[in-house]
Amino acid sequence: MAELHDRSDRFELIAACGSDTLVRLADDLLDGETPVRILQEPKSQLLMQQVREPVERRPFNLGEVLVTTAEVEYAEARGFAMVPGKAEPKAVSGAIVDAAVAANHDETSRICETLADAAADREERRRRQWNESRATTVAFETMEDDE
Amino acid sequence: MGYVAVKAGKDVIRKSEQLFEKGRIEGEEPNVTVEQVESQFGRLVGQVMSEGGLYAPKLAARAIKQAQGDAAEASFLLRAYRSTLERFDETVPADPDRMFATRRVSPAYKDVPGGQILGATKDYTQRLLDFDFDDTDPTEEWELADEKPESLRNVMELLREEGLVADPDAETDEAFDTTRDPVMFPASRDAVLQELARGETGAMTALAYSALRGYGQVHPTLGEVRVGELPVEIEHPYTGDAVEVTSVEVTESESVVPVFAKRDDPQFAFGYGLVFGRNERKAISMTILDASIQLDGDEPAEDAEFVLDTVDGIDSFGFIEHLKLPHYVTFQSILDRVRTIRERRGLTNVERPEGDASTDRSTPEPDATVTDND
Repeated sequence: MAELHDRSDRFELIAACGSDTLVRLADDLLDGETPVRILQEPKSQLLMQQVREPVERRPFNLGEVLVTTAEVEYAEARGFAMVPGKAEPKAVSGAIVDAAVAANHDETSRICETLADAAADREERRRRQWNESRATTVAFETMEDDE
Repeated sequence: MGYVAVKAGKDVIRKSEQLFEKGRIEGEEPNVTVEQVESQFGRLVGQVMSEGGLYAPKLAARAIKQAQGDAAEASFLLRAYRSTLERFDETVPADPDRMFATRRVSPAYKDVPGGQILGATKDYTQRLLDFDFDDTDPTEEWELADEKPESLRNVMELLREEGLVADPDAETDEAFDTTRDPVMFPASRDAVLQELARGETGAMTALAYSALRGYGQVHPTLGEVRVGELPVEIEHPYTGDAVEVTSVEVTESESVVPVFAKRDDPQFAFGYGLVFGRNERKAISMTILDASIQLDGDEPAEDAEFVLDTVDGIDSFGFIEHLKLPHYVTFQSILDRVRTIRERRGLTNVERPEGDASTDRSTPEPDATVTDND
């Protein structure tokens, strides 16, 4: 189970969380009183996906992956998010949520619960996908010689 | 022959474009949504991302809709969009062993550890046109186990344990990037793999097939074919830890090549294939071309320069289709040369009627700029 107060773990949970959920969380945090500063507007960028091929174990560039990044300062704490695809509202919301937890905002425990629920849903989907695949695992029958 | 700029037809060009756009909404059926393309044409989306060199399923689906199903055009749109963006960074190099595989078959090993997982495929059933689609979920009633997902070991590692694969000389972390620097020949293997990974599926299949049809020495056994999700990890800018941003669907294949005429070492040689999306045909073709290029022989598929110069779909589609554009000056020049040669040889040129287009050098109505393309 990921430790939500750990920034690296939190980064992964935010990236995997649904857009609507993150935007709702961020909307609740924007109360008009807590100071917010956008350090980096949400921006679509590229990551070059490198893979270590298994024979010579040397990396090569498979291709680029579209991501959106944003960085904010909220309640005097910095927050950073990178999310898959072209998703500006999700990225900036993720950065606000990240900063809010870093600032130990009153909403921290609710944020952590929501992110944990989203992570559990994702795990469940993957588990189902895995077990569906396992249902297609071949069990070979040896053809015995009749004689 | 130099370039000559002429102008014509701004309005008709616009109307042609509008006529093309009409094709997307024509008919009485509801419009296909981008979401429908993404969820129901997953293989086409994967092919477009792979050939465009950009993993972005939603944008690939949009490009397919915009191109009205033309995969090459959609890949071009994606690659053009990619060229407008800056790069955040490279990812941490992913180890294929960490793939969350939902399909893995090994034609080489019957009892491969983890088992032969067929996954979602119609490889083993008849391929017949279906006149009666059933829109219900046929897996709904399945009674599933409740196992925790696990990683499947790469077949290459099994061979390495037996000493049948040479250990790498030294692990390197630098990868040549063909999107930043031009490929020079002889090309390094990482450059070859990158170019093959974004090659056009049909071109890759044709060239790999040529090797199998006798124009080459590689007829591999596939160690395995896998489909699954590969993690995309970066170093977190605050903590420096490797963190997962997302995962990408990939198809991976490894081929075992028993005969390498130029090698004295009795160990096997290998070809590797890895592509974005579910595209087994392309991944397998990539393994054949990787192995063939390592031979550096005389056959087309063994010539890195020939292969890499022809497999990129954006390059080939652009060059082939540019021939549709005006070549008035080029053709006029060819005509002039042929006529001159014929006259010099005493051959009679048929007198051209008045108003013959090939003699008309007047400038059309000025509107849109058209440039002669050779």
